[in-house]
Amino acid sequence: MAFRLELGQYYDTRSPLHRLDARVKIPCALVLMVAMFFIGNAWQLLLGAAASVAVVALSRVPLRRVLGSIRPLFVVLAIILAFNVLFVRDGNALVEVGPVAITTGGAWRGLLYAGRLTCALLVGTTILLTTTPARLTDAFDALLSPLARLGLPAHEIAMVCSLTLRFVPVVADEAGAILDAQAMRGGALDEGGMGHRVRSVVPVVVALLASGLRHADNLSRALDARCYEGGTARTHLYESHVGGLEAVAVALSCAFVVALALLA
Amino acid sequence: MAQTPAIRLADVSLVYQGAGREVRALDGVSLEIPVGQRVCVLGANGSGKSTLASVIAGLMAPDAGTVELVGERVCTEGQADFEAYRRARRLLGLVFQNPGDQIVTSVVEEDVAFGPENLGLPRETVRRRVDRELARVAMTDYAQADPSRLSGGQQQRVAIAGALAMDPRVLVLDEPSALLDVRGRAAILRVLGRLRRIGCTIVHITHFMDEAVEADRVVVLDHGRVALDGTPTEVFSHADELRTMRLDMPFAADLSCRLRERGVGVPVAMEAQELARSLAPRLGTVRLAPEQAPEGRATGDRAHASVPSGKKVLQLEDVTYSYRPGLHALEHVSLEVGQGERVALVGQTGSGKSTLLRLAAGLERPDAGRVVVAGIDTSTKRGRCAAHHAVGYVMQHPERQLFAQTVWEDVAFGPRNMGLTGAELEACVRDALELTLLDSKAGLSPFELSGGQRRRCAIAGVIAMRPHLLLLDEPTAGLDPHGCAGLHAILDRLHAEGVTIVEVTHSMEDAAQADRVVVLDQSRVLLSGSPAEVFSEANEVALIQHGLGVPAATSFSRVIRRLGVPVEGDALGVGELADALAAACRGGRS
Repeated sequence: MAFRLELGQYYDTRSPLHRLDARVKIPCALVLMVAMFFIGNAWQLLLGAAASVAVVALSRVPLRRVLGSIRPLFVVLAIILAFNVLFVRDGNALVEVGPVAITTGGAWRGLLYAGRLTCALLVGTTILLTTTPARLTDAFDALLSPLARLGLPAHEIAMVCSLTLRFVPVVADEAGAILDAQAMRGGALDEGGMGHRVRSVVPVVVALLASGLRHADNLSRALDARCYEGGTARTHLYESHVGGLEAVAVALSCAFVVALALLA
Repeated sequence: MAQTPAIRLADVSLVYQGAGREVRALDGVSLEIPVGQRVCVLGANGSGKSTLASVIAGLMAPDAGTVELVGERVCTEGQADFEAYRRARRLLGLVFQNPGDQIVTSVVEEDVAFGPENLGLPRETVRRRVDRELARVAMTDYAQADPSRLSGGQQQRVAIAGALAMDPRVLVLDEPSALLDVRGRAAILRVLGRLRRIGCTIVHITHFMDEAVEADRVVVLDHGRVALDGTPTEVFSHADELRTMRLDMPFAADLSCRLRERGVGVPVAMEAQELARSLAPRLGTVRLAPEQAPEGRATGDRAHASVPSGKKVLQLEDVTYSYRPGLHALEHVSLEVGQGERVALVGQTGSGKSTLLRLAAGLERPDAGRVVVAGIDTSTKRGRCAAHHAVGYVMQHPERQLFAQTVWEDVAFGPRNMGLTGAELEACVRDALELTLLDSKAGLSPFELSGGQRRRCAIAGVIAMRPHLLLLDEPTAGLDPHGCAGLHAILDRLHAEGVTIVEVTHSMEDAAQADRVVVLDQSRVLLSGSPAEVFSEANEVALIQHGLGVPAATSFSRVIRRLGVPVEGDALGVGELADALAAACRGGRS
């Protein structure tokens, strides 16, 4: 397999986080994630880190799996870290090599920016790992329903998002097969000069587009055959039950925000 | 009770507007299906059977004609009534070929609930139906599983449960087992048998003739028209007509027709047992396969799954490989393939067949052991790249990788990357297109070709690189009988030209045509030897236990032996069996 995308793939461990109603889980997660970006000092960063590690631990999803699904974003984190460390110049100089200077201020900023983004990502990815596409749809549907009154196709947007997540691994597998087939026919992407590489992307993209259209066609047939007509009359297999677990989740999220504010 | 038919089509036509030309997919089809009937629709690729499925499932309105579905007149003289369509669709279920594209979420039970939820049923009803249907398709234990981790056969059963949970009056299945292995297909047929007993109307579209035997009625489509319509026995008596429509026969019907051609007066049979019983009393000694298969010589001795003579093109020495730690895809597999050999790899889904091909193609590096292809060790990156050039690898559904503007350009992609230009390039592409019977299509876009032609085009792109070793992963999956036969003719010619071929197949009949059969089971080599050795009587039970089987002709020769007829040797193909039986009949009479 040429590459694997694990972004947003459901992983079942039946933890409390899995049982938590998605209509409560998602707003709580959004609050936590937004709060992470207000982190400004070391104590707050420590609290943020503790909270995100707690969320991951609570989900009982193996750490490897959680990190695996944010791996594509490691590059972004590395760039943020490097830019701040290398280009921010306040505080005392730690190391100075020619024109490049690493200062205490730069190092701290790099750590802070990369740290709070990591915390937010950990929370976000854990929520995706513990929520099935169908329940994500239901949750977004419920959350966006006020906007539906303004004419926004809230349910349809939610459905499209969840189907996208459902088909990420399918399309990734197919991309892998296409890349392998091209490699066998001497059109490897990782060989030759820049021009050659750009040219070898074309067949992959064309074949992938064709396969995307085929899936879309089949999927529309499947949705029609199963009488999917938007969210209006739909019922739900699981009782959406807002009870003790949900109350605890809301309380903990509020406590986190309050604690963060107190530490400022 | 005299009731309105479940489905009624009157003079229905449907035309697809293609690029500058029209394709008449359905051409004046009239069909009435009474409630509770199990109908099998047969037809070659492009005969219009998938379109018919869409029309019956209420997903497509025809351009002309009248359609009544479950008592709703949805289309009158080409005028669709969309409200009636909506009402009818709630009572119709559809399952189609690709299970992956029908599953909308990541938990089996949620997916089965999707249809009833859309119908707006109360929660308790949804729950009851989900449980009931999962039990019916024997998937209760997988209610919480992730469908994408299930086998194709299991996914297809989830899709059937999802359709049945809507309590449809008519269930339409569009080639549900085309992409499944032997065990997956058998499970689907068992489910269909159970449904018939509870009176569900079933419209089953297939190009596996053997699946049609159990139906109440068989409808054969040809170029958008109903060509034959009757009980299985009636339809399969028209051997010649079926052949001109590029279709096959179920095994027993095929054998009885062949016997009749050879002057043996037997009725056209649908069941092998029934044919065997009517034939057995008239038989003398049946002499098959001159050299009798030495039974039991083919063993699971994995150190020596080899052929003794000649140069080795592919060697696997004690190879172990896993995609994820702790989960072996192949374990201690040793295998040697000699120059010019034709090897069939059989085994259930997940037995490691495809992994073996990927290793041989140099796409994966073995975790332990050695893979040597055409003298190249694939343990280094450089070695694997060299292996890519020596080996041609046709993956599953290679037509999905077509991309170029024209067929010619697509086939030329590989040779051009090898650095060929001018006359040399021309020659490579021309030969490959001739071999695959696509020379007249060189200027077309690959997307304009039919399914079978697209498959051949993708294969032409691989053989244009003139590989010494050709690896094929289920090259006939999803093709109709004519397409399968065409593909086998291509492989026969390549083999005659000296190309070494390793082919993964689910068909024991195809495997019987190879020089050697290698059976994989749970990441290991279970059996290896000539077809006669592997399919010997001693191995039959083991093969069946591992979800495989023996060719129908082999099985038939054993059935008549058990009925007390002296049979020497085993048959592998239906042709030789018919010859031997006809000879034995004359012998018996004189």
